[in-house]
Amino acid sequence: MRFLEAEGLSKTYIRRCKPKDGGISRLWKRDTQVINALQDASFSVDEGELVGLIGPNGAGKSTTVKLLTGILTPTGGTCRVDGRVPWLERREHVRHLGAVFGQRTQLWWDVPIHDSFLLLRDVYSMDKAAWQRRLDELVDALDLEEFLHTPLRQLSLGQRMRAELCGSLLHQPRLLFLDEPTIGLDAVSKLKLRAFLKEENRQRGTTILLTTHDMEDMLALCQRVMVLGRGKLLYDGQLDALLRRYDTVHTLRCTFDGQADLSRLPAAIHQERDGEAYALTFAPAEIPTREVLSHVLACGTIREMTLKEQNIDHLIARMYEEMQL
Amino acid sequence: MRNKLRPYLTAFRVRALLETQYRGAALGGLVTQLFFGLVYAYLYAALYAGSDPAGLRATVTYVWLQQMFFRALFVSDGELQQQILSGSLAYTLCRPVDQHLYWISRNLAAQVVGMLMRALPMLALQLIVPAEVRMALPASPLALVQFVVSLLLGVFCVSQIHAIGLALTMKTLDNRGLSAMLSLLLMTFSGNVIPLTLFPDSLQTLMRFQPFAQALDAPIRAYLYAPPMGEWLVSVAVQVVWIAVLMALGRWMWARQLRNVTVQGG
Repeated sequence: MRFLEAEGLSKTYIRRCKPKDGGISRLWKRDTQVINALQDASFSVDEGELVGLIGPNGAGKSTTVKLLTGILTPTGGTCRVDGRVPWLERREHVRHLGAVFGQRTQLWWDVPIHDSFLLLRDVYSMDKAAWQRRLDELVDALDLEEFLHTPLRQLSLGQRMRAELCGSLLHQPRLLFLDEPTIGLDAVSKLKLRAFLKEENRQRGTTILLTTHDMEDMLALCQRVMVLGRGKLLYDGQLDALLRRYDTVHTLRCTFDGQADLSRLPAAIHQERDGEAYALTFAPAEIPTREVLSHVLACGTIREMTLKEQNIDHLIARMYEEMQL
Repeated sequence: MRNKLRPYLTAFRVRALLETQYRGAALGGLVTQLFFGLVYAYLYAALYAGSDPAGLRATVTYVWLQQMFFRALFVSDGELQQQILSGSLAYTLCRPVDQHLYWISRNLAAQVVGMLMRALPMLALQLIVPAEVRMALPASPLALVQFVVSLLLGVFCVSQIHAIGLALTMKTLDNRGLSAMLSLLLMTFSGNVIPLTLFPDSLQTLMRFQPFAQALDAPIRAYLYAPPMGEWLVSVAVQVVWIAVLMALGRWMWARQLRNVTVQGG
């Protein structure tokens, strides 16, 4: 049996709303609307994997995470994490689970973060020595030393997120849920956070399930990705393969020394003038990169040339479009 | 055992520390309760008009004890409401604790610490209250012990009622209407508006046995009348039964709510 197994996991909500018309009866009548937040999702994850969960807003990502944490009870299907059904054995399940919900906070607002960590020690009934050792490790890895005794409310967003991460890893969970952990962070903080997560996953074998809209996070951290849309699991596999499927257009940017004549380029290469440079767009499926290069070399003396892959956000947007999300 | 209790003791400590921060509120409460105590005491003094000095003394004492320990009835804890609104309830639900006991621990901290912060200064102020409306000493040293035991049980009983209120808040997502109703019930049926001893004799049995009376009326009767041991043990048994019933109901409701909970939004 694998570490995490979900089978036909489904969750429907019933939303009640006032009827659009109907006069006075609107006072007591309610229309009900069934919302399929998650439909028949089956997947499994091995211990030590780092899996990304993506999809547009309202795709069912949070619902999936809440089902796996045991906060929600599904309306259909089942799942087991380390042999336990989350919503049935909630207390034992959450003992081995850490979570960071990017837009919420688990630490106490008014007290120094060190005090919050102390409280968490008691909430998880941790052994003092083990807790201290783990805290030292995390303080070191996440650079918390200088603000360890500062109240949470005085921390910057980046500092706060690092503190939150420390809080969710103190009890050494085997499974970590990260819901948009890099939201609102600056470049340096993001890079640090990613490096830390990679290390945590590699060294301790912590299984990580990451939800994010930041595709750079995905690229940096996850090899495997699950795509959710309208409550359905649409793709589950290698991130590389997914990108290759949608990465259909390349752009070659080049500048020439002196005059260049691009009029003889085949129609498959779309050209655009951008100041001194030319942006040549082509689909490798239509015309191989090698052929494009030889055409371009024939146009004049090249001073500079870069080949750009498509921006990952555009790729994902195209993918969502194609999947009709 | 100690390890098992650790999360709950921590929840108690966190909430207790928070309560001690509300010093301004405590001072305000003190002034209010002193004012009401004096008004009620003089009102009853005028009503009795010298006809029944023993009855007056008992009623006045009842009033002062009510004012002193009034805060034990209430939990001004907006935490659950705030967590529902902000969504950080998701974190609380991810803790390896019994949610029902966790919130009860918080309730108890708010009640006990809030109560002590009012009761102790009020007791000191009795020294400057005019003699004719001053509270009496307990009927006997034993009565004082009985009072303390009954009070602690009463506080525990009320915390069960509040835990039920919180379970309902999980359902309705808004605690305002509920709090208002609960306050009214607690004020009226704990004897805070009119001492329960002053209700008509035909209602006395009902008044004594309903759950809200367990909080303050039961201990105060022990303080005033030093009931014989047998009679007092009956009142303790009533408290214990109510605690058991309310706790079972609360646990059932919490389990139900946790199964049906919807943590809304991304």
